[in-house]
Amino acid sequence: MRFTRRRFLGGAVAASLGGAGVYELVDRFTAAPARQPRPAVALPPEQHVIDLGLVESEGVPVVVPPLHHEVLTATLATADPAAAQQGLERALADLDDRYSLDAAGLGVTVAWGLPYFERYVPEQAKLHLPFDHRAGKPALLPARRFPSDPAGTILERNDVAILLRSDSRAHIDVARKALFDDLPYFSITSVRRGFAGGGFAGKQSLPKKMALAAGIPGADLIPDTSELFLGFTSTQKAGLGPRLIANHETLGFVDVRGGYFRGGTHMHLSHLDEDVAAWYLLFDFDERVLTTFRPGLTNVKRGAQTVPQGPKDVATQAETAAAFKRTGRFGHSASIQTTSRLLHDVVGPDGTLYPKGTAVPQRADFNTLDNPFAWSATPDADKMQKAPSAGLHFVVFNPSSDDFARNRLAMDGVLPDGTKLAVGPRSRAQGFNSVLTTTHRQNFLVPPRRHRSFPLAEL
Amino acid sequence: MVVGVLALALAAGVPGASAGTSAPACPAAWNAGWQHLANVVKAPVYCPTWMPNPLDARIGGDWQDIYSVGKDRSYLVSFLYHGEGASGDVHVNFRGYPGRTTIPRCKTVILTGTKTLRGTKPCFADSAGVQTAPGIRATVYRVNQDADQWHILLAWRHAGSLYTVSEHRIAPYTDSQIATNLDRLLRSLVLVRPQG
Repeated sequence: MRFTRRRFLGGAVAASLGGAGVYELVDRFTAAPARQPRPAVALPPEQHVIDLGLVESEGVPVVVPPLHHEVLTATLATADPAAAQQGLERALADLDDRYSLDAAGLGVTVAWGLPYFERYVPEQAKLHLPFDHRAGKPALLPARRFPSDPAGTILERNDVAILLRSDSRAHIDVARKALFDDLPYFSITSVRRGFAGGGFAGKQSLPKKMALAAGIPGADLIPDTSELFLGFTSTQKAGLGPRLIANHETLGFVDVRGGYFRGGTHMHLSHLDEDVAAWYLLFDFDERVLTTFRPGLTNVKRGAQTVPQGPKDVATQAETAAAFKRTGRFGHSASIQTTSRLLHDVVGPDGTLYPKGTAVPQRADFNTLDNPFAWSATPDADKMQKAPSAGLHFVVFNPSSDDFARNRLAMDGVLPDGTKLAVGPRSRAQGFNSVLTTTHRQNFLVPPRRHRSFPLAEL
Repeated sequence: MVVGVLALALAAGVPGASAGTSAPACPAAWNAGWQHLANVVKAPVYCPTWMPNPLDARIGGDWQDIYSVGKDRSYLVSFLYHGEGASGDVHVNFRGYPGRTTIPRCKTVILTGTKTLRGTKPCFADSAGVQTAPGIRATVYRVNQDADQWHILLAWRHAGSLYTVSEHRIAPYTDSQIATNLDRLLRSLVLVRPQG
């Protein structure tokens, strides 16, 4: 069956799709990536860690993300989380037993928002929530707007967010049913769906096929084998934090106090709308490179999609500031790397050496056609639109809210020493930022696996 | 209005269209303006014999927007239909650079706090293939500057000069309809040579 834009818009495809809507096309457009079978191993203490395979793209090792992603946000439908704790844990453990913890199986990450801790377990939270002593603030902070965010960016207050990742849409459907339909604990506030990968083989990548099918303006301009709508490969191994680096305790600036949250991390969740047509019609390839990576990057072959971002390619703060003075521009990667990469070698508590230049954030972002969500309990407040729109559900794990904020501020030209690169919030000189519009943001805490169900409620 | 424009575009009797696929001569109603332009720039210019609905290509007519001839004889002739509300635009630009074949450079200005950085960049960039018509082999450019920003542009060389035609990628036409329009525009072009 072949889908043209006319047929899609005419509703023929939409009418033929089931509950997953447009995302059922993912499985029609691409097969699940071939993955090496993994031996059965004990589940790690961390919830956010999932083993994914690697491929080589233009000579650079690249992580192959799970094909399907879904985030459900919710408020509690129970006034007694302590009584609900065992029921949710049983459901989660059943999913652990049923599926392997990898992309072929299912990744489940349960993250809890500040409203949960403040409303349901305030006294326990005061004692146990991790504290970021580098920032002098709790590790979990309310969401904030950043300089390039519009005034209308919604700062959310969900109690919980559950991230589901798998190559199999059916596995995600089973998990959603088990955690939300079959349990009385949550009132869903939003469903956010999307896809990633599918761009490393074949003549046309999944994001391009999906954008074309949905009639996204500028879809035809997306490079044929692009991993994401905006054209560059974002999951290269060196650009993602290694296994345990985003744990609260690994880099030493977050105090896990009594240890309840040791093995946990922080998750930021946001939705960004992407103006694909503007990106490809206003920025030529050279400008897309310099604004995505850094000014002065001249050795990038025309049409390249995977540009090496290893430790040796990292820009320093001084280099970023100097390049800005010279060109009036700073690259997305270069500015973020001033805070997202280690400035010196660090040895983790388990003896692991993290060399200078290592990435800290573990991104789990995925492209979406949600506008802005697949479903919302408050469609007016969330400004839900029926027409699909190109976007990104941005999911990232950092040791703390402040660590994420440092990276996000750097993306807007506010460097870690307080230097502000003088560029307007939505200026074309910001390149990347000028085609992104953040619609929603929230911070969450991801407890270790042993406390993933209604954390602190048992105390 | 949008529906009307699209419906008319699909109809056979598009105003200003030449009969058949051959493009023998600049339409009589439009010829005077293009002939005058060729005389002013002292070089051949390309006159379209078809225009996307609702435009025509009568210089000095209802749809003409920009008419500019530089000291270097380069010209820009633009035709614009500006839809009501958010219904979109139909905007077609014709350029010529008599006596030069290189891609011109456009000025860029970047404001950084109190500092203004000025520079230049190619006016037409991000080539994406070739489109042909009798006597024309045009390169497709996707990232263009100034009056051609947001346009898809075709550029080709003829007798030591550079010529372009572009159309804004915007509703009411879809992206694929604009590609079709440009192909049809390219095939409709006829040379008008200077006289006297």
